[in-house]
Amino acid sequence: MTSDSLILPQAIGVPFVAGLVLLVKGREMAPWLARAVAWVGFLVPALTALCAWWIFSMHPAGTPIFEQSMTAATPTQLLWRTPEMLFPFERDIGLGFLGLTLKLGLNGLSLPMFVLAGIVGLAAGIYAMNTSVDRPQAYWGLLLFIVSGAMGVFASLNLFYFYFFHEFALIPTFILIGWWGGPGGRAAAMEMTIYLTLGAMLSLLGLLALFFKSGAHSFDLVSMHAWTLPATATVPSGHKIFGLLLFGFGILVSLWPFHSWAPTGYAAAPTPAAMLHAGVLKKFGLYGLLQIAVPLLPGEMAGWSHLLAWLALGNVVVIGLVTLAQRDLKVMLGYSSVMHMGYIFLGIVCVSAMGAGGAVLLMFAHGLSVAALFLLSDAVFQRTRTYDFGAMGGLCKKAPVLSAFFVAATFAGIGLPGFANFWGEFGVFVALWKFSPWMTAAAALGVVISAIYGLRAVSRIFYGEPSPAFQTLFDQPVADLRPGERWPAIILLGALLLVGFWPGLLSRGINESLPTAYQDLRPSGHYVLTLNFISETTAAPTPAAPPAAPKP
Amino acid sequence: MNLPMLLSLILLLPLGSAVVIALFLRKRGNLAALLSIMVGFTVMALSLYVILTSYNPARTVYPAGSPESSLPSAAMQNWLGMAGPVWAEASHHWLQFGDYVFAMGFHFNNLSALMLLVVSFVACWIQLFSAGYMADDEGKARFFGGLSIFMFSMLGIVLADNLVMLFVFWELVGFSSYMLIAHYYTTDFANMASKKAFIVNRIGDLGFLLGIVWCWDHYGTVRLSELENIIGYHPGLVAGGAATGIGLLLMCGFVGKSAQFPLQVWLTDAMAGPTPVSALIHAATMVAAGIYFLARVFFLLPPFTLHWIMWSGAAMTACAGLWALGQTDIKKTLAYSTLSHLGYMATAVGLGYPQLAMFHLAMHACFKATLFLGSGSVIHACHHEQDIYKMGGLRKKMPITAATFLLASLANCAVPFFSGAYSKDSIISAAYLKGHDEGLIYYGVYALVLFGALCTALYTCRLFAVVFLGKARSEEAEHAHESGASITIPLIVLGLLSLAAGWTVYDWKWAGGLMTGLIPSGCAQVFLGGFSALEHTLEEKGLGHGLEIINVIVVLAGLAASYAFYGRSAAAGDPLAAKSPGAFRVLERHGWFDDVYDWYVAQIQQHFCDVLAALDKLAIQFGGGQVCAGGLSGLAGALLRRATVGSIHAYVYWFLAGVCCYWFFAVR
Repeated sequence: MTSDSLILPQAIGVPFVAGLVLLVKGREMAPWLARAVAWVGFLVPALTALCAWWIFSMHPAGTPIFEQSMTAATPTQLLWRTPEMLFPFERDIGLGFLGLTLKLGLNGLSLPMFVLAGIVGLAAGIYAMNTSVDRPQAYWGLLLFIVSGAMGVFASLNLFYFYFFHEFALIPTFILIGWWGGPGGRAAAMEMTIYLTLGAMLSLLGLLALFFKSGAHSFDLVSMHAWTLPATATVPSGHKIFGLLLFGFGILVSLWPFHSWAPTGYAAAPTPAAMLHAGVLKKFGLYGLLQIAVPLLPGEMAGWSHLLAWLALGNVVVIGLVTLAQRDLKVMLGYSSVMHMGYIFLGIVCVSAMGAGGAVLLMFAHGLSVAALFLLSDAVFQRTRTYDFGAMGGLCKKAPVLSAFFVAATFAGIGLPGFANFWGEFGVFVALWKFSPWMTAAAALGVVISAIYGLRAVSRIFYGEPSPAFQTLFDQPVADLRPGERWPAIILLGALLLVGFWPGLLSRGINESLPTAYQDLRPSGHYVLTLNFISETTAAPTPAAPPAAPKP
Repeated sequence: MNLPMLLSLILLLPLGSAVVIALFLRKRGNLAALLSIMVGFTVMALSLYVILTSYNPARTVYPAGSPESSLPSAAMQNWLGMAGPVWAEASHHWLQFGDYVFAMGFHFNNLSALMLLVVSFVACWIQLFSAGYMADDEGKARFFGGLSIFMFSMLGIVLADNLVMLFVFWELVGFSSYMLIAHYYTTDFANMASKKAFIVNRIGDLGFLLGIVWCWDHYGTVRLSELENIIGYHPGLVAGGAATGIGLLLMCGFVGKSAQFPLQVWLTDAMAGPTPVSALIHAATMVAAGIYFLARVFFLLPPFTLHWIMWSGAAMTACAGLWALGQTDIKKTLAYSTLSHLGYMATAVGLGYPQLAMFHLAMHACFKATLFLGSGSVIHACHHEQDIYKMGGLRKKMPITAATFLLASLANCAVPFFSGAYSKDSIISAAYLKGHDEGLIYYGVYALVLFGALCTALYTCRLFAVVFLGKARSEEAEHAHESGASITIPLIVLGLLSLAAGWTVYDWKWAGGLMTGLIPSGCAQVFLGGFSALEHTLEEKGLGHGLEIINVIVVLAGLAASYAFYGRSAAAGDPLAAKSPGAFRVLERHGWFDDVYDWYVAQIQQHFCDVLAALDKLAIQFGGGQVCAGGLSGLAGALLRRATVGSIHAYVYWFLAGVCCYWFFAVR
């Protein structure tokens, strides 16, 4: 309660208030005022997140969040930075007797997700404000609610609020799909609602069980961890609880075979909602596994890891092949996003620093790239009036900037080095090799599969000559990317490139904050190096000893 | 500036140029070209400066006074004799998770010096050539931006100090290749070829990636210097299942990039790109990067892998040489020639002579770049006509192009005293030596590469005779005239080098040591040792002259036969196609690899995916309707469905009920 910082509540509260104002008063407001309110709502979380990122990387003297939590804060500490977290905030909002104190804070694991939510929120917001829909104020308001909830999810250090913010963000998503969605929007929203509710229920059950069994009498993540840590693997029925969490979160992340809500849902969703859900909200389950399930139930992953790994391989290989068969751009993107979730699961399965780090990097990168692809595919649709590959072709001639951006986003998704996705995927492969070389080989097939469908899409949309039906469309002038489409794409791709070139921007924080559950496996070099025979100078070096013999 | 800084500058200049072009010069093609060419020449000058000033012949490879017991293994000493001492080493942590460190850095030795010289030298002349060739192109800025990105990626491969960094740039050259092949994206051919090139390369990279991961796990490091140390002192490690597996997987990267069996199908299609791209990327540098990579990690390759590389390389030498005879497109003929020469280099690596492979790589870069640029000059003059049977008689109309093309053709066939002869003949001799020393079956390799040499003479003479001799066969060829200076100057420079570059191996007294200066000694060290050792061995066994004479006879016989068959034919089309259409068709279809792969993609993969997708859709309908996802979730789903009956309100009530439940338990 001592060191409170209002920065995180501001990142959650401002979009919420802005959304509320737009929903309640939006229709009576002057258009420019409504637009200004929306801008504030989208900008504040993004800027806060970037600030947090900057501050975090300027002050790396952190320690893992849980280990230090029981020690008292020293007086020299800055207000906004305790050893274990950034921007701590704790307030009893009247439910403290139930262990429901609102507790916020960021560590190296949640920071990338927080930043992701801010950036994608801003991009989706800018795009939404530049497309014409009916009742735009309500549309923006609901999007702002999603942003607010997403910021809350990744800032919460209390399981209850973690769950609460997710639900808070999910409900506007359903409404957006049902109301503003494309053909079949209602049905898709319904299916998505059923599935996601089911997943959320299971994870809620798991979280509740965790609460009761841990004996911490609090939903506070830090104190729960303090309770379970000394008695590793003695949480009663930890195996079952972990299973509940695993499948609950798994359904939310479209773990195969619980994925079928995703392609239809995203195909029907209005683009900003798809960007926010596929890019940010979907990461809720993965983040929950990484930050909550594995650290609080250390050792329980072992009992589930083979099942989870097989299912995740299903995501990568089976859904990858299904993606190959798609002939509709948006459905294909939906499937490809399901496919890439498999890699992240595989990273988590390893329970190692490398795997977890790769998973976080990949979550961040995938969120940005899939948001960019949804945005650009909508831009394609605005020009061609179709998502059907068969009816497209030759768009590059008319819209070179659009096609350059689309190619960049596609290659990011394929995992080309230079984009953040590459480091995530590569990290996951390195970590997975320890778990199972054969599974690594199978998972690496996805590298080829995603190249095939990605490049196929690019070549059908942008290359070649336009089809005859298309030609009539092209006789009218087709505009290249408008600023309202261009800037969100630049924001997303810029962030991908930045982290792609300097992955250390994220990895340092992740390393600092990885809980002990991810105790690392070393690269199992069997050989010790002691000598370098390639000498730099002509001076005779001291007689060198041969390196130690290999371990048997 | 110290060496690592200079190397960073060499690496980053092209990246800077690409960024500037992408951001500011998209609509200013000429400025983009100027910037890219200037950067190209600066990089060349810097590389030369680095190589000339930083090479220290006194630098020892391993401690001179170290006791016998602590010297690296003999095989490693042999390899070190080629790769030489490390000139500079730098490494920066880029990303770290737990104990795994991804680093970026330089590992610069003689080997990388040679490759740096080849890449930067050939690239700057090809960029100058492009200025003339692409003068009227709409996408000029895009093209030069792509070339800059390619230079950045290629230099990264040359300098990389660890396998992960190498892989990063390996993928990036694949991307730049994709981008440049797709330059004429409106044509279906370029559209298809670019996709194919990237995907086929990705298949190779898949193995490469797994090889790196396995290598990291097995040896505990991916840094080249550390691997050298480990293998140097524990040569026994490069045996057994894991080492063989790693070797084979790493080899996949080479197979994809250097277009060897069975992934060779992309290279000929890649000719859909502009001709300078074919010259730079798909002949001189990128496809040869596979060979460079093999030389760089040669000590990691166990005998089984080397055998595979040797046999497939030798087979490629012969097959691609034959297939070249079935092509009527000038660039495709040259593409098959490139495949065949890559086969020679692979054979050399497989025979245990990476030195000779690197030697041939350097020579090949000169003469194949000249051939491609010459073909570009011809295509430019004939208004983008690529069919050789619509050319003819260009000797008089394009004298400079014809002369340089002739020089490079002779080097290509390995006519004595031309650059190609030194490297290629030594590879053929090495193959004979293998048979001589290790058993009858290895004479098979010799036979294949010798047959490859015969084919080379056949297709090269055919190409030259049809394009440059005789009479013009079309309107375009009739009105062709010599290209401008920006096209002919690179042709002359590279053409003269294809004549002379090989002389560097002989310290002719009458030349006063001039010849050894043709290639800076730091670079030439790579192959000089291996070359003279081979000469020496042949001499000892009394094989030298005999093999040389056989080579010469084969080449001259090939040239004469080809001239007799193709040079004097007055037919409008290919004389082989006229006399034996069946045989021509066999050559033209190049082993039906494409057909088999196309059939697999269209008939098996596509149908399989369609079936999976249909099943998935079924699951969606079923799952969406019934929410029956099995086990617990099925039960929960059924309950839930009753509770939610299609309205959001009910869902909210559910949520409230959950909260109440919780409340009850909590205050209990």
